[in-house]
Amino acid sequence: MTTKRHTPHLLACLALALPLAAAANPILETYRAQAKQENAAFKDFTVAAGQKLYGTKGAELSCASCHTDSPKAEGKHVKTNKLIAAMAPSVNPKRFSDAANVEKWFKRNCNDVLGRACTTQEKGDFMTYVLSVK
Amino acid sequence: MQRTLIWDLPTRLFHWTLALSFAGAWLTSDGDQWRAIHVFLGYLMLALVGFRLLWGFAGSHFSRFASFWFGPKEALIYLQQVASGRAKRHVGHNPAGSLAIYILLALVVVVGITGVLTLGGDEQQGIVAGWASFAQIQTIKKLHDLCATLMLLVVMGHITGVVVESVLHKENLARSMVTGTKLADADTPVAKRHTGVAFLMLLLITGLALWWFDYAIDRQLDSQPGHIESVADTHEPRVKFLGRQLPDNAQWRDECGSCHAVFYPALLPARSWQKIMAEQSQHFGTDLGLDASTTAAVLAFMTANSADQHNTEAAFKIEQSIPRDATPLRITETPYWLHKHQEIAAADWASALVKSKSNCAACHSDADKGTFEDAAMQIPGPPLAKP
Repeated sequence: MTTKRHTPHLLACLALALPLAAAANPILETYRAQAKQENAAFKDFTVAAGQKLYGTKGAELSCASCHTDSPKAEGKHVKTNKLIAAMAPSVNPKRFSDAANVEKWFKRNCNDVLGRACTTQEKGDFMTYVLSVK
Repeated sequence: MQRTLIWDLPTRLFHWTLALSFAGAWLTSDGDQWRAIHVFLGYLMLALVGFRLLWGFAGSHFSRFASFWFGPKEALIYLQQVASGRAKRHVGHNPAGSLAIYILLALVVVVGITGVLTLGGDEQQGIVAGWASFAQIQTIKKLHDLCATLMLLVVMGHITGVVVESVLHKENLARSMVTGTKLADADTPVAKRHTGVAFLMLLLITGLALWWFDYAIDRQLDSQPGHIESVADTHEPRVKFLGRQLPDNAQWRDECGSCHAVFYPALLPARSWQKIMAEQSQHFGTDLGLDASTTAAVLAFMTANSADQHNTEAAFKIEQSIPRDATPLRITETPYWLHKHQEIAAADWASALVKSKSNCAACHSDADKGTFEDAAMQIPGPPLAKP
């Protein structure tokens, strides 16, 4: 009896959770776990913070310098003019699929833009923003 | 004296085809994009001389070596007689002329063979591709150039001789080599026309040309495993003449190619690549931050195919140009690169299609493959107006 009453509820929950689970990025989840470990006060990553970081200009560059104002657009290396494929996985599904590669580019680009390494919070915020761009 | 056929058709065909081939080969010797034509004419000249050697025994009377078998001494005596205006008229070749012919035949053989060897060693193309290294071939290449120049001098001497003779004996020798006839005594041996042989020659020459420019260049090269497809093929009117493909590596291509055009390792010596990887924390302003295994894998590919390995002509020449104690990090700073690009106009560098000196692919359609074939190079013209 109870089972019968709860079934529609459960199904509704599954219907909502399944696409979310499919969309969850394992790399982002790793950063989330890491952030929790590093900071007891950690709440969550936010799109707004990531978007702000995306537009932040360091000494010379911002992410947008090479990746354009939209992570969905094809960019161009500011020094070499080499074309850069779009960063948003909604356009370019290859992005944020290889953890080592993601780490490499965070290391490189945080250094280039901010002159320092990014914190786990920053990486997570950034990814949350780029993943949210549909 | 009566009009007599002295030069049979094959002899005349040989003469003028060789003359035109030499002129063509001379004119196409500098322009890299004409290499296919230059090489074709070289092979053709070798074939023509091969025929002429046979014809020296099988041809008509005056085409045979036996009719103009003079030594250098006789040639000198003859020249002295010409100088004093007392030279006897020869219906066939005179002693000085025959000497020029023997020298020219020998020079064609030397220039032809050294040319084939140079092509094989310096460009790694042709029937002896890879037989010799870039270093080994340098002397042979010089010999090719030297003998070709010598040949031009002998040709000029030959033409001078023809003019002098024509004036001296009041007969147009050049026209005789076209019509084949000369005024001669009644007892002079008359040449056979040999139309059949001439027809066969013509057929072979045209056939060789068609095969070379259609099958050998376009189709056969396309099917070769080492063939490289040129980027702008459809817009290139000239014949492709490309060599073998260089080793590739996906990881190297991916790591280096993600920020800039890939620069093939053969364009710098191994020590440069070692330095670049050792200094990757300050790679032209960026910290590459490659992990140890990636660094090792990419460096292994780069050193295995560096300029020291002489994969291409450009590799060899760049490597040769760099002082032993120097370790350049930019290809555009190597002496060979600077020398090779010094004549390029500022306007060409500024062109919207070029812009940067590191944009190798703007002019070298095979830059991505690292081969930098001469025939694949073309400075882009002004952009075509849109209709």
